[in-house]
Amino acid sequence: MILPIGPIHPALKEPVRLKLKTQGERVISAEIDYGYVHRGIERVMQGKTWQKGIFLAERVCGICSYVHTQTFAETFEKIAGEKVPLRAQYLRSLTNELDRIQSHFIANSTYFKALEHETLFMYMLHLREPVMDAIELLTGNRVNMGWNVVGGVRMDAEEKHLNSIYQIITNLENEYDKYVEMFDEGPLVSLRSRDVGKMSKKDAIKGRAVGPIGRASGLKHDVREDHHTYQDEFDWKVIWRKEGDNYARTMNRFDEIRESIKIIKQIVENIPPGDVRTKIDIPAGYTDWRNEAPRGEVSYFVETNGNLIKNISIRTPSIMNIDVCGKYMLQDVATVADAVATYASVDPCVACTERVVILNEKGEKKEFDGLHNVKYLK
Amino acid sequence: MSSLIWYLYEFARKSWAESFAVARTNPEIVETPDRFRDFPEVFPEHCISCGACTAACPAPNAIRLVRSEDTAEEEGKAYPVINHRGCIRCGFCAEVCPTVPKTITCGENHLIREEFTILPTDRMFVIDDYLCIRCKKCLKACPVPGAIYEEDNKIIIDQSLCIGCEECLNNCPVKGAVKGIFISHIQEQKEIINLVVNTLEESIERKRDDITHLSDEEVYKFDLSITELVERARSILANDELILDTFQKITDRLKLRIVTWDEDKCKKCRLCVDECPSGAITYDEKENVIKRDTKKCLRCSTCYQTCPFGVAGYFVSRFLLDPTSLEDGVIHITVKASQLPIGAD
Ligand code: SF4
Ligand code: SF4
Repeated sequence: MILPIGPIHPALKEPVRLKLKTQGERVISAEIDYGYVHRGIERVMQGKTWQKGIFLAERVCGICSYVHTQTFAETFEKIAGEKVPLRAQYLRSLTNELDRIQSHFIANSTYFKALEHETLFMYMLHLREPVMDAIELLTGNRVNMGWNVVGGVRMDAEEKHLNSIYQIITNLENEYDKYVEMFDEGPLVSLRSRDVGKMSKKDAIKGRAVGPIGRASGLKHDVREDHHTYQDEFDWKVIWRKEGDNYARTMNRFDEIRESIKIIKQIVENIPPGDVRTKIDIPAGYTDWRNEAPRGEVSYFVETNGNLIKNISIRTPSIMNIDVCGKYMLQDVATVADAVATYASVDPCVACTERVVILNEKGEKKEFDGLHNVKYLK
Repeated sequence: MSSLIWYLYEFARKSWAESFAVARTNPEIVETPDRFRDFPEVFPEHCISCGACTAACPAPNAIRLVRSEDTAEEEGKAYPVINHRGCIRCGFCAEVCPTVPKTITCGENHLIREEFTILPTDRMFVIDDYLCIRCKKCLKACPVPGAIYEEDNKIIIDQSLCIGCEECLNNCPVKGAVKGIFISHIQEQKEIINLVVNTLEESIERKRDDITHLSDEEVYKFDLSITELVERARSILANDELILDTFQKITDRLKLRIVTWDEDKCKKCRLCVDECPSGAITYDEKENVIKRDTKKCLRCSTCYQTCPFGVAGYFVSRFLLDPTSLEDGVIHITVKASQLPIGAD
């Protein structure tokens, strides 16, 4: 029988519809329907000045709001052919890594909640709290930080702020392993995660899985590898795993947090002095830019006339990850509860996925085939 | 039963009664971090009511300029009011506010704002150095410190500080020395320009018979009603101010050169065919005629200067928009024969 879950359902954070094809308790296959919270934010941005656009870009996604502003700013800096001062690049990376840590914590906590392991769920949020405090200390805000501008960051970080961030991160590092162990060695949690919702490397490539989801299935790729700051300045490595199940996805995030802590320590120790903001003149132009959001690759395509945003197209990671979840992970899952946990393990973010709906002449939904379509959408 | 007894026992205790009497929730521990960006703070006394903050705000209706009522002693003052329900605490308004000391502050970030060039209007003001007489009236009139400055004996407007208040334009004694250029809808402006130029050229072409026989001294005048033009321009862009501005600039500046062609005089000598730089003139062997393609023609007057028989005529026309409004306006067109030297007659 078909078991519909959602769009509004206590097991889901955000409105999407899971249609599970079941045989008894066993889930044979699944289909995921989205389109319930479409907001058309790209259309809102068109015709606005780029100075305003960055605040709107921040509102594409709630949890990984930071990386959207960074990508937006870097796209425009690429159009102008300039790089921001090194100190600003360091501060951006610092915020990016803090944001990644908190996002991974909340992703894992929702996964544990889907497993009904509320102790670990609360522990994860408990660990996340000081990281949020660090973000607040640095930027002045907790979620939508308003911290990036095209040309650098808003304000400079003082020695005392960096020191307290270092303190927070060291504390986190010391406490952290205990909780990872709880998941790793706890017989029940592991049992419900290992070998559930498996996705092979081949499927991950076919479905274009990105971020921790792809990396947990053996795709050894992280967009940070191509980013100039990460390339030149920091010593870090890409975390990846072979198993491709719920356990691997969760552990992959845990390990990435450890890597982020490493990067943050390097940043605080080596941050160079200098400006944090430069004046940038934006010429007319068109370009694209990619960055690694906590959930995977986010790319921006921007066309501007130097003053206004003419066209903008944003691709967020969740669109592929939710897709591969329905296509490859929710096949032959032992129980419905496991299917819900599998869905939670991909860290789906429906709000950032749904920004544009393309209809054909008859008003039917159309597959998205690149920017070409959007360009002539008036 | 036993639980009831337990309850009675519990409620009868002195300590319970005491704690019940003084029950109070613990005070909330709220620590504001030193960089916390609260809602913007407004100091109305410094505001110059330029509107830069309202133009910059990315959140709809988060900030508005209001004006207090006039009293017997004083005129009312304008100042911004923040709607806390709409404000997203981005601090952008504080960045763009040009006043010193600041009218709006928002957290720590109001100190830097170089590259923010959000103009409250969609016009950009530039100074034509050729016309400027350096009287510095604009400099004195500008309400923003540093927005207009003098450098190397030139007056320059800093676009990133300009708030678009038009004070410089209103105070400038020389017409055209300060220009207010619409920086929005560039594409639409181009379309309107093309539309007007094409219409003007067509209307002159239609009068060709009258103007071919003009002598050197005569001028030919006629009027073109702009009613239809305005309608078509409005379908391109619904902004009357901009349409009028564009119309006026075209008619001020435009000088159309018209080439006419009198086929009867032509002796088929084909001198012009070789001379024409754009290849607009061709000889058709079958029909034994010289043809001129108006689309390719550059209006360079080479044919007029070459032809020994005066086949080509060359005229210059000028335009004037009257009255300078979009209602019932006409464009006065003046056509005059060119004074260029002509080939052997
Ligand atoms: S802080 Fe931002 S949202 Fe709030 S009034 Fe100022 S510009 Fe508008
Ligand atoms: S930007 Fe400053 S001076 Fe201009 S209206 Fe707003 S508060 Fe007043």
